[in-house]
Amino acid sequence: MGDTRFVVGIDLGTTNCALAFADLTSASDGVRAFAIPQTVNPGEIRAEPLLPSFLYLPGVNEFPEGSVPARLVGELARKRGVENAGRLVASAKSWLSHAGVDRTEAILPVAAPEGVERVSPVAASAEYLRHLRQAWEQAHPEAPLSRQEVIVTVPASFDEVARELTLRAAAEAGLGEPTLLEEPQAAFYAWVGRHEDWRERVNVGDRILVVDIGGGTTDFTMIAVTESQGSLQLERVAVGEHILLGGDNIDLALARTVGARLGRISAAQLQQLWANCRVAKEQLLNPEFTGTEVPVTILGRGTGLVGGTLKAALTRADVDQVMEGFFPMVERTDMPAKQTRAAVQEIGLPYATDAAVTRHLARFLSANGLALPTHVLFNGGVLHASAVRERIFEVLRHWGAAARPLEGEDLMQAVARGAAYYGMARHGRGIRIRGGIPRSYYVGIQSSVPAVPGFAAPVRAFTVAQFGMEEGSDIRIPGREFSLVIGEPAEFQIFSSAIRKDDAPGTMIDDLTEELEELPCMEVHFPASSGSHERVRVSFETVVTETGLLQLWCVAPDGRRWKLEFNVRERVAA
Amino acid sequence: MSKISLAFRCFFALLSHGQLTPELMAELGLFRKKEEKPAPPPAPVVKVSDGALQMLGILQRDGRLLDFFLEDIAPYSDEQVGSAARSMHGPCREALNRYFTIAPVIDGVEGTFVQAPSKDPATVKFLGNLPATPPSGGVLRHRGWAVKDVHLPALGPKQNVTVLAPAELEVE
Repeated sequence: MGDTRFVVGIDLGTTNCALAFADLTSASDGVRAFAIPQTVNPGEIRAEPLLPSFLYLPGVNEFPEGSVPARLVGELARKRGVENAGRLVASAKSWLSHAGVDRTEAILPVAAPEGVERVSPVAASAEYLRHLRQAWEQAHPEAPLSRQEVIVTVPASFDEVARELTLRAAAEAGLGEPTLLEEPQAAFYAWVGRHEDWRERVNVGDRILVVDIGGGTTDFTMIAVTESQGSLQLERVAVGEHILLGGDNIDLALARTVGARLGRISAAQLQQLWANCRVAKEQLLNPEFTGTEVPVTILGRGTGLVGGTLKAALTRADVDQVMEGFFPMVERTDMPAKQTRAAVQEIGLPYATDAAVTRHLARFLSANGLALPTHVLFNGGVLHASAVRERIFEVLRHWGAAARPLEGEDLMQAVARGAAYYGMARHGRGIRIRGGIPRSYYVGIQSSVPAVPGFAAPVRAFTVAQFGMEEGSDIRIPGREFSLVIGEPAEFQIFSSAIRKDDAPGTMIDDLTEELEELPCMEVHFPASSGSHERVRVSFETVVTETGLLQLWCVAPDGRRWKLEFNVRERVAA
Repeated sequence: MSKISLAFRCFFALLSHGQLTPELMAELGLFRKKEEKPAPPPAPVVKVSDGALQMLGILQRDGRLLDFFLEDIAPYSDEQVGSAARSMHGPCREALNRYFTIAPVIDGVEGTFVQAPSKDPATVKFLGNLPATPPSGGVLRHRGWAVKDVHLPALGPKQNVTVLAPAELEVE
């Protein structure tokens, strides 16, 4: 990395991507946002602050020859996708974290008709990153991205598999091996980077809640301010679950409310109404706006524009009612409605059943046994609305927290900027949040008990990595050895938990409660040295790489070691 | 280097610089024509009307301007026309501001006396009771509009600008 000149932060978002960078050779410039050239209309390229995370796979003769690339990413992809959803890949990132499907298989777009090309969630994410790389290298041909310090952000709730797949997408896109950073941490870094006096703004013992509500997802993270050898330290103490619920849901709910008053409208008209309701909502939520309603109009579809125009209004009452649905005043002990799902379902994303963000917040705090926050940092477009921010404070006050906001960040660009700032911190120019891995990890061990017909042998969980294990560290798990067959694939059942933080490596858990989530199995496959089967005694070793990736190794007494890899395909086939 | 990636890089290079970089030329196995034949490249065939047609196409695409003006609005109420016009106003205005930098000819307050910045009749038009020799100023009645810059995208050689909006057929 001798010729590393830039640190580059990439926010690989569910609905938008952003890129920010800093020049290591001129520290005074600080972190700057990078405008991303993209096809906005056939034959027209324009640099925009955000790259919409949409991939469109154009068919034959869909666009004038040579006016769009074969893999269309960005603004035009988003626009054209409204007209033809069958070729549009959207929310690839949510699919990346969806364990119910094979994420390396070409399954997107789900709505693609027979014969239309499909891509995998990994390949789609790689397209966005490739576009960003090419855009960057067009502007900086002397500094290829694979040789810069690149930080790619992921939701804190991404499990190991989703993280590894993100890295795989980055490698496919020619980014080399970027470092992963959790989005809420990035948002907090952006705040720290913006406030040089941040040490005066927070104190030891403060707890900072990061609320990140994006277009399609909601994430919570808690960061504690601690002290070590007289200087302030930041420590990420808890991360929430991945909740598929965001601003788009709010706008769609508004569009449906208004649409119900218009009678039957087509899917395309609902799309237009959706976009218009978003604008109208922002107007109504602006504290300076005093009216009680904003007209929303759907223009006639054909050339009869005025004659076909449908008119309706979004009222303050509509917005209040929908907001009440998403941000109700709840008790601290309230829990989101349980996910009850039909056994047979369409292939699709596991959207949150309970739309109440505040109930998810209550669950986040109680499931992690957290004290109430002293500060709140907001991120994501929805929180532009001061009414939403105020409601979250109201709920926190109701729970007894006197939390204050940490303000002054650009809600759309903060994650990319914060990622770049973190990159600088890795070069010794800024503070780092101590976090380590956001979950504890376990290997399932089948008990050796006499077989009972109709009952599977109980599985116990052996702790191999504890919540908070730091980047760049490794441990040999004490206390237990296993017998491993060489010469044929061996599989491991893997569990993780974001809630159980006190299980030290080597701890055995007898009862598998709901706190443990099963991941795709891991396997080791290696040729036996002599060509025949062989049994070796091994113990586990856990490594967390500098880039924050968890690796599990089987280590034999003679020093031979084998890495366990997630098998994403197996789980789905089973 | 994959074909798609190469094509995409060429695409970017052509659209943003109008030519391929030497590296891309090498990768494609292309060579620039020898220097000995400095025959000037044929002037691109751009008709004067192309830019106008392009802009009409953009205003229709983004703001439905043609649909509005070509429709007979006589049978509809002011309210109906008004709400359609209101929702077109934003996109049309955005398109104008995006593809042109438009500024007043005289950046003054209408209704106050201003000096004429030019004698060019296309820049300043005098109204009212004019003296024998053109005056040096007058009361500003309209600030005028001038284009300071044009940012229209380059037209592709095969682009048919006479179709201002394609017909739309929906498959159900």
